[in-house]
Parts: sequence; structure tokens; C-alpha cells
Amino acid sequence: MRRYASPLLFLLPATVLITLFFLIPVVATILLSMTDISTITFRDPSWVGLQNYRDLLQDPFMDKILLNTARYVGFTLLFNVGMGLVLALLSSLVPERYGDPFRALWLLPRIIPPVVYVFVWQGLMREAPYGLLSDLTGVSRNWISAEPWNVIVLANGLVGASFGMLIFTSAIRSIPTDLFYAAAVDGATTWQTVRRVVLPLLRWPILFVTAYQTLSLLTSFEYILLLTDGGPGFYTTTVWSLHAYKLALSNYFGNVEFGLGAAMAAVLVVIGVVVSLLYLRLFNFRTLVTEPKVEVN
Amino acid sequence: MRVKWLLGILAVLLGLAYAQRTITIQAWTIGPDDPSITRFTNLQEAAERLNADLAKEGADFRVKVEGFFDTTDWDPYLRRVLLAFQSNQAPDIVQASAALSATWAAAGFIAPLDEYIPKYAQFEDVIPTLWDSVRFQGQIWGIPQDTEARPLYFNKTLLKQLGWSDAEIASLPERITNGEFTWDDVLKTAQEALEKGVIEPGKGYYHRPKNGPDFIQWYRSFGGRAFDPETGKLVFTKEAALRYFRWLKEAVDSGVLERDRLDGNWDRFHQNITDGKVLFFSGGTWNWAEWDQQWVADKGGQEWLFENFGFAPHPSYKKGGKPITLSNPQAYMVSANSPNKEIVVRLLAYTTVPELDGKHAVGSGHLPILKTTPETLDDRFTREVSYLLNFTTFQPAHADLSKWQDSFFRGVSAVESGDLSPEEAVEVVAAEMQRLLRDQVIIE
Repeated sequence: MRRYASPLLFLLPATVLITLFFLIPVVATILLSMTDISTITFRDPSWVGLQNYRDLLQDPFMDKILLNTARYVGFTLLFNVGMGLVLALLSSLVPERYGDPFRALWLLPRIIPPVVYVFVWQGLMREAPYGLLSDLTGVSRNWISAEPWNVIVLANGLVGASFGMLIFTSAIRSIPTDLFYAAAVDGATTWQTVRRVVLPLLRWPILFVTAYQTLSLLTSFEYILLLTDGGPGFYTTTVWSLHAYKLALSNYFGNVEFGLGAAMAAVLVVIGVVVSLLYLRLFNFRTLVTEPKVEVN
Repeated sequence: MRVKWLLGILAVLLGLAYAQRTITIQAWTIGPDDPSITRFTNLQEAAERLNADLAKEGADFRVKVEGFFDTTDWDPYLRRVLLAFQSNQAPDIVQASAALSATWAAAGFIAPLDEYIPKYAQFEDVIPTLWDSVRFQGQIWGIPQDTEARPLYFNKTLLKQLGWSDAEIASLPERITNGEFTWDDVLKTAQEALEKGVIEPGKGYYHRPKNGPDFIQWYRSFGGRAFDPETGKLVFTKEAALRYFRWLKEAVDSGVLERDRLDGNWDRFHQNITDGKVLFFSGGTWNWAEWDQQWVADKGGQEWLFENFGFAPHPSYKKGGKPITLSNPQAYMVSANSPNKEIVVRLLAYTTVPELDGKHAVGSGHLPILKTTPETLDDRFTREVSYLLNFTTFQPAHADLSKWQDSFFRGVSAVESGDLSPEEAVEVVAAEMQRLLRDQVIIE
């Protein structure tokens, strides 16, 4: 037992945190999802077992919301991981005194509060003479309503790109310069160096950024809420987490259904876990966490 | 020495005993339209009057109103209220839609007020039907704060450009009232305006850009029934919903109504209307005050509005049918946990007087709740629009009404966006209501 004492002691803080902030909320969410707790029944909820899950299955629009979620996560992910990579590569290929300010600029969308950021988008996208895009193109329309998906992916992607950009930049900088010299001596072009030297060594950061952004996009909806409120029209841009939020916390008439919302949140937890496992499999996690091969002493 | 000390302590104790207490009454209120701020300031003014009377009576306490007036949106406000109720930290007074009194009463969050109301003569002046809006299971759960009508507005200038004479325009409210001008005529007129280039596509008819009580009004105007007073259950009339959905589809397909009208953007709603681009538009009387103060103040305010806009009840779907409007009265509700219910209701009585009622009505474009208030007012809009109350209806007092409304709204948005045909949408709405409301809804 004594041999386990030190490891257990060191693991204790993390275990407490995981229990408090992950395990207990998940268990509480699952328990809540088995009740009919809502505004009306808040003081006296009843145990309904799997009824909320059955309700979700019977809801004819859950397919649409799931597809929307896949669309949102997929396209935003492609945009922000891809854009992050391009930005990191471009800014690393130029001298630092140009690259650093360029990267700093890309942090702007991230540090602007979401509400202000969305105001900027609305200012750009409104009808003429109020919206810049309408003025520039000469086509007066509300571009957010007309192209909701493009706007959502762009708005989210531009914020998310900076995260990948920072991680990828630091990963690129950690690549030993010898490898670049060797590539140069071999006569490799810039593209060949990127393709054959940089990208293979970025596999782990790409996995990390992709996995992290997927999980974060699955649960994030604030820009959708502020830009389109899930519309326009019929669930056009409503994603799973936004729908759960509306059911559980935000309803025009004030009658929220915590139980049903919790069931949706529980489903999201399962989706998150499945997606994470899939990534680990796809990127061959075991190989990635072995001894690093890039360090040259 | 000891006697001096004792006398000193006694004096302090006596002083404390006679010191004036301040009872702080927490009140949370919302517009969200800015001009409705009198929902909060009237409470503060009433507190001053109450304190003056308390002084005359020699009472050992005074009241102070604290809280806020919210101008954001119903969603965050109601969430805040709900979380406060759930954590037993609710304010003494919550102002919200009277229809919510049923939900909050069922949840045990608010107090019945029947025993307090007879004590104050001010409440006798309240228009009697307004008490129905806060009555649930035989008890009264709130004090009416204001009411309104939801007219069908029309742009007189655009109608004129379409070739209507002044007399035709002036008689439109009457023609709607006597059932001569129907929803189909609204559609035909808008289609004609579109063909003649008087309006841009999508601007023939505007309704609110997001969910709200109004949809029940339009459903009723197409012959729908939402409540069965005998059983106390909600009702969904498929035939009426189908009529309404078909109308919406035709409006969208013919370019009268924007396919993305439900985009949640109120600015876009107000902007196009006050830019004079929209022919017919459904709104509330409070919108008039918003337009006046926030959107057309530089064009001439009310005068400009009267020159350009007219209003009428919402028409029937059939010739000779009855027109309709909806009132969604606001009410002050008293938290079940408030330790000061007696004095809170007295404060509300002091708020329920013609002067403050009139101040709120004129300032915010709502309608007075007191029988005597109109006599004290000289405001053209209040005078001209008040007749709409003759056609008014309320939302049914049912704790699960919101589920009915959410389901119905899904149908509306599905039809407008083209995701479902009217026939499919009716079936989907019926199935969803059946699933969510179970035995609490009659599908007919």
C-alpha cells in the first residue's frame, strides 16, 4: 500500500477537481434528466426514468438539429484549424518582427467581448445604408439572415483560428533548425519543407487543437445565439447545445424544462466522449505520446 | 453613577424602540422597451406618496423601493427571476406578463392576493376584465399594471401610392371592424403593391421577428380556439391552423412576406417600418411610443406617425367575421416568500391611481388599466386607439400554455421557412402538442 501512497497523494488534487467539476456535474445532469423538473414542478419534481430521452427520440426535428451541429462543428473546425495552420506557417516564414505583430492582430477577435464582436458583425452585415458589405457590393440585404451559415462559420472561425495559430507557431518554433538546414541542403522548396518536415511534426498539436476545438464547438453556441438566435426561420442554425440551453434555461414564456435540457446535455457528453475516443484512434494516440523523436541533442 | 448609566441605556433603548424603520421593497421590472420605465418609477413615486401618508398616520416605518428596470429582453429577465425564485431570493414584487401568473402560481412562487385586495378602494377602479388575466384556479395572483392592444398597422402613404383615396384609407379600420376587409384582402392588397412596385419584395406584411403571444391572436383570427373553459384544457383547432399556415405560405411564396421574417432582429423590424417601406405590419400599441421616441423623433414624432400610419384590429379570415386583437396585460406579482406582503400590496394600491396609470399609458403607448384614467388624459393616440379594447382577447390561464405556444410557433416558422407544407406543419404541431401536453390539450 505504501508504494501507492506518493502517487495517490500527487493525484489527489486533480482527482478532487475532476470529481467536483466533472463527475458530480455529469451524475447530477443524468439524475436531472430522469426527472420532469421544470418551472412548474421545480419544488416537487417527479422521477420519469427515460421519458425525456424517449421525448427526444420522438421529436421529429432532432435529426435536423443534429445535422446542424455536425455542420457547425465540421465547417468551423475546418476553417479554424486550417486557418490557424496557414497563419502559423505564413507568420513563421517571415522575420519575427513582421510575424509577431501579424499574429497579434489575429488575437483581436478573441479578446473582444462576444457581444461587441457580434455588434461589429451586425454593422458589417446589415442592409444599406447601415451595413458596410451592402454598401460595398451594392446589394442591399441583411447578410446574416441571407447567409447565416457562412456568417456563423466565419465569425466563429475567425475567433478560433488564433488558438490554433498560437499552438502551431510554438510547435513550429520548437522544430530544431538543423532539420530546416538539412532540407535546404537537400534542395527542398518551401512547400516541400512544409509538406515533408513541418506538417509531419505538427501531428500532435493538430490532434490537440482539433480535439480541443471539437469539444469546445460542440458545447459553444454564444455567437450563434447572438448572431441568429438559431434562425432565421425554422431551426436553420439551431445546434444541439443551443437547443438544450433554450429548453433548460431560456424560453420566451419563462417555462423552462430543466429535465429535458439535462437529457440533451447528457447526450452531448456522450457525443463528446465518443468523438474524443475517435480522435485518439484516428491520430494514433499511443504513438504520439511515446518518446519525442524530434529532439536532437 | 450606576443610576446615570442605567438611565443612559434606557434612553438609548427607548430611542431605538421609537426609531423609524425603513422597509425596503425589492421590485424587478422590465420593458423591455425603454419608454415603459414608468413600470418602475411609478412604484418609487407611489412609495413617496405612501410615506407621506405613513407620516400622517404616525407609523414607525417608511418604505423604500429598490430594484431595476430591465431593457434587455424577456429571456434573460425571466431566467433571472426564475433563478431568484428557485433560490428563495426573489424580490418582493416581480412585474411580468399576467399570463405567467398561472405558471408561477402553479409552481408556488407567488402569493395569492385575494385577502389583501378588498382592503384598498383603488383596486375597485381597475377595468374588471383585467382581473381575469391574473385569475388562476379561482384566485387572483397579481395586480394589473398596464394593458395594450395589438393592432394591424398600415402605411397610409404607401396605400395612397397604390391608388387608394383618402376616404378609402380612412375607412379601412371600419371595413376591418365590420368584417368587410379580411386577411385575404391584406394579402391581395400587398400583392398588388408588389406588382406595381410600391413596395420591395417581402415588405407587404411584417409580423414580429420572434416567438411571442401574438401568434395565438393570429391563429384565433383564422378561427382557432385555444382554450376550453369547460374542461380547463388547451385546444388546438387543426382547421384554423391550416388556414393560417396556408395564408403564411401564400404570403411568402408571392413575395409579400420575407422567408426569413423570423430572424429575431427587432431593429430590422422597426427600421424598415419607420423607413416607410412596409405596407401592413402587426405590432403593439407600445410600438407607437417606441417609434415616436426612438425611431422617428427627428422626422416629427407622433405627427409623422399619424400622417403616415393608421391602425385597426386584426381582420377575420372570412367576410363578415369578427376582428380581433390581443392584450397581454402586465401585472405586479408578489413573491410567496416576501415578508412584507401587506405593505407591498398597499404600495401597489398607491401605484394603481389614475395619475400614475395615465403617466405610464401616455409615456409608453400602453393603455390605462383604470376606468377613470381616460377622463384625465388628453392624448390623441390613447384616445384613438383605446376602442381596440372592444375586440380584445387574452391568453388562456393555463400553467402549460408556453408549451402550446412553442409548438405552434414551430409550425409557423417551419411553414415560413419552407421546411414543411402547411398540411405537414399542422400534423407536426398537433403531434407535438399531444406529446408535450398529453391530456392537457384537446386536438380538434
